[in-house]
Amino acid sequence: MTASYRLSSLCITTSIFSSHGTRQMKVRLTGFGGLSTFIRPPLHRLKSTPCALSSSVLFSSSSPPASQSHQVPLFLRVPKYATPVSDLQKWYSWASDLAASVGSTFLVSDNGPDSSLLCRELRWLLEDALQEDIDPSLIHQVGVNSAQREVNLKTGIEDLYKLWIQRIEERRPFQYIVGCEHWRDLVLCVQEGVLIPRPETEIIIDLVADVISSNRVLKEGFWADLGTGSGAIAIGTARALGGCGTVIATDLSPVAVKVASFNVQRYGLQGVVEVREGSWFEPLKDVQGKLAGLVSNPPYIPSENIPGLQAEVGRHEPKLALDGGVDGMDHLLHLCQGAASMLRTGGFFALETNGEKQSKLILDYMEKEHRGTFYNAKAVPDFAGVLRFVTAFRV
Amino acid sequence: MEVLFRPTNATAAASELSLKPPRSGCLVHRVNQGLVFLHLKSYYLRSFSFCTLLPPSSHSFTSAIHSVPDSRVSEEVSSDSREWALQDFYSLRRDVEIVSNRVEEIRSSAGLEQLERELVDLELKASDSSFWDDRTKAQKILLALNDVKDKIKQLSDFKTQVEDAETIIKLTEEMDSVDGGLLEEATDIIKELNKALDRFELTELLSGPYDKEGAVISITAGAGGTDAQDWADMLLRMYMRWGEKQRYKTRIVEKSMGEEAGIKSATIELEGRYAYGYISGEKGTHRIVRQSPFNAKGLRQTSFSGVEVMPLLPEESMDVEIPEEDLDISFSRAGGKGGQNVNKVETAVRITHIPTGVTVRCTEERTQLANKIKAMSRLKAKLLVIAEEQRASEIKQIRGDVVKAEWGQQIRNYVFHPYKLVKDVRTGHETSDIISVMDGELEHFIKAYLRYKYTKSSNGED
Repeated sequence: MTASYRLSSLCITTSIFSSHGTRQMKVRLTGFGGLSTFIRPPLHRLKSTPCALSSSVLFSSSSPPASQSHQVPLFLRVPKYATPVSDLQKWYSWASDLAASVGSTFLVSDNGPDSSLLCRELRWLLEDALQEDIDPSLIHQVGVNSAQREVNLKTGIEDLYKLWIQRIEERRPFQYIVGCEHWRDLVLCVQEGVLIPRPETEIIIDLVADVISSNRVLKEGFWADLGTGSGAIAIGTARALGGCGTVIATDLSPVAVKVASFNVQRYGLQGVVEVREGSWFEPLKDVQGKLAGLVSNPPYIPSENIPGLQAEVGRHEPKLALDGGVDGMDHLLHLCQGAASMLRTGGFFALETNGEKQSKLILDYMEKEHRGTFYNAKAVPDFAGVLRFVTAFRV
Repeated sequence: MEVLFRPTNATAAASELSLKPPRSGCLVHRVNQGLVFLHLKSYYLRSFSFCTLLPPSSHSFTSAIHSVPDSRVSEEVSSDSREWALQDFYSLRRDVEIVSNRVEEIRSSAGLEQLERELVDLELKASDSSFWDDRTKAQKILLALNDVKDKIKQLSDFKTQVEDAETIIKLTEEMDSVDGGLLEEATDIIKELNKALDRFELTELLSGPYDKEGAVISITAGAGGTDAQDWADMLLRMYMRWGEKQRYKTRIVEKSMGEEAGIKSATIELEGRYAYGYISGEKGTHRIVRQSPFNAKGLRQTSFSGVEVMPLLPEESMDVEIPEEDLDISFSRAGGKGGQNVNKVETAVRITHIPTGVTVRCTEERTQLANKIKAMSRLKAKLLVIAEEQRASEIKQIRGDVVKAEWGQQIRNYVFHPYKLVKDVRTGHETSDIISVMDGELEHFIKAYLRYKYTKSSNGED
């Protein structure tokens, strides 16, 4: 269980494992400054400096401090705030107006959400804030009876005003507002410091399910999700494995480790998914050459694109999970290289990329640098037809 | 259905009654009656068009008047009670006439002769020596046999019962006295019979394979900008009200707001028995004519909204396999860089069944996967319904051109200006009480349509 790794000259102390022999590792970070060298994969070092600079700068400036505990998402809180329906209706109509006032300005400025998407979010916010047995359509019901009624909310009405202002004025992502993201058939808790899982990534689980449906050996083996974030891919994979096999999820960010661990517990997968803190393959020394599968959605956005990102993404989501270096390839190539040594014979790997260009570069790289190491390598499109994924098997 | 029958017969009765000049000796009572009848007449004459189609009333009212001697009516002492008895008798007799017609109507539309032929056929099969060789088949035949027997028995029970009531009426007419007990009995018979007929008609009219299920109603604003979007919103409210009145569990599952006012589209789910059976006839294009509040010049404007209705079917009940190559699945999160670059709650999924062109869209769920599953199940439900409508045994046999024409058919006009009128294009049913209709009073329209559909299908079979 113990994964030990040497950290460069950094002041990180690790104390590993509780008395239960569980998998969660506690790491205390006492400084961020030098971490860029740590997250930088070997290949990265060969590349030009700007990206190293930018990633270190961005990381240290925007990454939130590791809090002691994860935040409880709205939908999991206790509905203890009794609120008159009329007040709720007032808030809802205020929030709808605010959403409507946005029109398509966000869309035009940075491809952000338009009014209709914001209205959808608003409906979901209401859904999460309401006590479970209350039908959200009460918001549209007029009449004295319903307006005088009280309903229980999971947060105060003032907080709802505050949250919606954050949503519109600060462009704080909806998923951070409600503290969760619905992804496949899962509801995953997320918070600042953790990448919000994207719908495209849902397909990775289908790819895994396809592979294991006809391969018992892979189904029962060790799988790894590198840079797990909220734990989405790891949990999805574990459920696809259906009780066989084990998934090890790693992340460099302590916040991500906490959030992922919480999500794993919420789905009762403590015995199946093991969350380890550390960079890419570092915490996986014990399973080198034994992995049946390796899946990852690593940071792949080219550094120069970061400033122009949609505000919800660029201003609020962790750069650590987005910035892929100069051409966005740094981590992808590192993972590709690592896969060669980590996977067992016949092992499967799947990576998400920024699209066709990166997918082709990876395929080229595998062909040139790892000739004879992989077979059946191919780019797989997402639902929009973008060649979003690269999959291959270890010879 | 009684709604349709009562007025017609009553119109006949009422007009006959009111034509009868009051006679001396019982002037007061006659005037009273006249008032009552006048009232009835004005109420029922609105549906006069029906009356012309009806056979003349079998009982002549005149004989009834004669059979009740004037002296009895004009007696002062117990005039109150006797007046009531007389009134009761009139109304009872009218009821009996109505029910008698209703029974005849039902017996003919239920295809009694056909049923009897079926019975003979099934009994023949059941008496075959090899009948029990195939147990499952035998069970099926026995079940069908029971059903047919039940139905025939019900139909003949209706006839006997209504004949009993008719006998009492005749007897009363012929006798020179009113037997309260007998009339009471006839009243009870009619009451029970009406209930039984209602039940029978309901099961007959709502006998489609999905009629018992809940329903999904999708409303889409047609071309016409804000006015059409406002119209879609009005329809949404109308169906919500209707659903609530029926005590169905009513839920707006999706609502896409219009830019200025109203909605672009909305989807409601109604849970409850027979929701689909009742509301399925609402599918089609609904047209509004009014002075649009969104038209600066206040000109008269016509807008359209489309309504689609599908049964709310549990996944396991849908035994349909649709080949993947027949499906065109598109996601709203297309275009742009996608992936990590974008964070938008675009989870909408749209599925088109290529051979028929039938399309469904699902946006209400919070994940793409969930929307895809839901869209698939809606698509299946829709295809099943269309297959049933076209009497196709397989999805493959559905004719797409017909679907397009039928599902977009204009079914109802709502005129707010220059006069007020809601008129169903198919059944001809109409009302000027547009406010009640918009408040969800759809019962008459729904029943008229069910009736229309039933007559159409039984004619079609003949």
